[in-house]
Amino acid sequence: MAGTTHGARSTVPIATLTLRQLAHGNAVRVVALFAAVPVAFALIYLIGQPTIDRVTFANNLFTHGVAPTVLPLAILILATSALGNEVEDRTMVYLVLKPQTRMRIVLEKLLAVAVVATLLLWAGTTIGFVIVMRGEAGGELGMLIAMLVAEVFAVLAYGALFLLLSLLISRALLAGIIYTLLWETTFSRFIPGVRLLSVRHFVESIYVRLANDPAATMDHPNRLISAIVTLLVLTALAIVATSWRLRTMNLE
Amino acid sequence: MQTSVTQARPPGPDTTPEAPPNATVVVRNLSKWYGDVVAVSDISFHVEPGVTALLGPNGAGKSTTLEMLSGLLAPSQGEIRILGRPARGDVELYRHVGMAPEQEALYPFLTGREFVELNAVLQKMDDPSGAAHQALATVELLDDADRPLRGYSKGMRQRTKIAAALVHDPDVLLMDEPLNGTDPLQRARLIELIQALGRQGKTVIVSSHILYEVERFADRILVINRGKLAAAGNFHAIRDRMDEHARAVRLRASDPRKLAAALVQTPVVLSVRFEPVAGDLPPALVVETADVRAFYRLAPAIAKRQDVHLYEVAALDESLASVFAYVVERG
Repeated sequence: MAGTTHGARSTVPIATLTLRQLAHGNAVRVVALFAAVPVAFALIYLIGQPTIDRVTFANNLFTHGVAPTVLPLAILILATSALGNEVEDRTMVYLVLKPQTRMRIVLEKLLAVAVVATLLLWAGTTIGFVIVMRGEAGGELGMLIAMLVAEVFAVLAYGALFLLLSLLISRALLAGIIYTLLWETTFSRFIPGVRLLSVRHFVESIYVRLANDPAATMDHPNRLISAIVTLLVLTALAIVATSWRLRTMNLE
Repeated sequence: MQTSVTQARPPGPDTTPEAPPNATVVVRNLSKWYGDVVAVSDISFHVEPGVTALLGPNGAGKSTTLEMLSGLLAPSQGEIRILGRPARGDVELYRHVGMAPEQEALYPFLTGREFVELNAVLQKMDDPSGAAHQALATVELLDDADRPLRGYSKGMRQRTKIAAALVHDPDVLLMDEPLNGTDPLQRARLIELIQALGRQGKTVIVSSHILYEVERFADRILVINRGKLAAAGNFHAIRDRMDEHARAVRLRASDPRKLAAALVQTPVVLSVRFEPVAGDLPPALVVETADVRAFYRLAPAIAKRQDVHLYEVAALDESLASVFAYVVERG
């Protein structure tokens, strides 16, 4: 075990450091609460007198709650903690004054954010799904897998975007919350033209196409491949922009 | 190391004398400004292997200069080359450069050993654990190496940062106020370490605002005041010029008039005047002396001969700001 830990430190030292940073801060605890939102709603569904069937509820929980709000907010908190806070408290100095490319620093930061976010969000989504479906979860396993896969792409895209945001402005957390609640949660849902400019639309498209279930529907979903490519291109562009920003900014 | 005094001049073509072949750090026409505020103004110098002190009062521009030397900060104007390469934008240069920043922030959850080892890993060293152990031994921190950094004193944090900067055995070492927060014993040992690094042929640039500290580890200094290079060269030559400057010293004694009468008889005292003190206390003496060091030696002896008790001896104008202002005037 010690050997494995030491190996990880040597192979991805910045990611390992960031994981420890996140573990010692409050960010993980807050994100764990966000990740537990589907579980809470599932329990309410379980003890209430539901008017809709389980599959529809599970779908609505993901498309109306997790994808537009829980995912971006959880990733926002982790990303700003992982990079922006380190610039602010100046510990970033110890990473940049080394023979390491800025791209590598950003990639390892994203890796750490992705690992924590994926584990917590997967846990919350899976537990919530199992509670809602109860004994029938096995029959709708395809829907659950579609949710989990869509979350991976969401973690990458939002993670890269919010890492960039944390280097561009000092109040990245506040700006990210406003962006999430206004853009991803509200405008992109109700204004048709804006839909294509939201990460949420492509995350939901991946989910709907992979689930291939009559209950999993949305307006004008993208094709699976185009949704995946769009999110990966967005992730790559954000990584390049974040690396450029880290290379050119003054770290006083 | 150049020995000429470099004065601030308006920005223009590079007229800096050619740096000698062994110059490891070359700075030409360097400026940094933030809006209307000029932090560093058109300074040029070069540094050779050995210990060089960047001396100046707080806010003079030392840290800004060091941050530009380390590549953390982009100059508004000018050029910095370290070991022949641009100081900013070439990450491979950091294999040869170490920096101990002034800031106290470290990763509180890491132990001292983990922090230094992390720096060794990021430096791509073959044996990070061995290098970290060696660096921690150099700063005498092995006994506390396995404690979390959150419990370290300021002096221990300083030594940890120095160990991290040294871990890859760099050719050029930049230290921003490394003696801040250290106790006298630690300070003495760090000064010995800085001197030893200089003797090993490394280029060590150390910033400080404390004149007597600099005197102990550097024989070459760059004096920065208000963002300008006030003087550069041999420490003792500049110190001697500072000593030529008449200084005022304030004394409080049990019998100031008797002491004043004795002091004016000595050749180092130029004038004596009395200064009222609050309450019923006897007035203080303000002595102007041409040789402050000689005066500090003489004053207690004279007081003892006159059977006068000395309560206080304080330099009135020995703040770096005034000394540097003097250097700038005379430069």
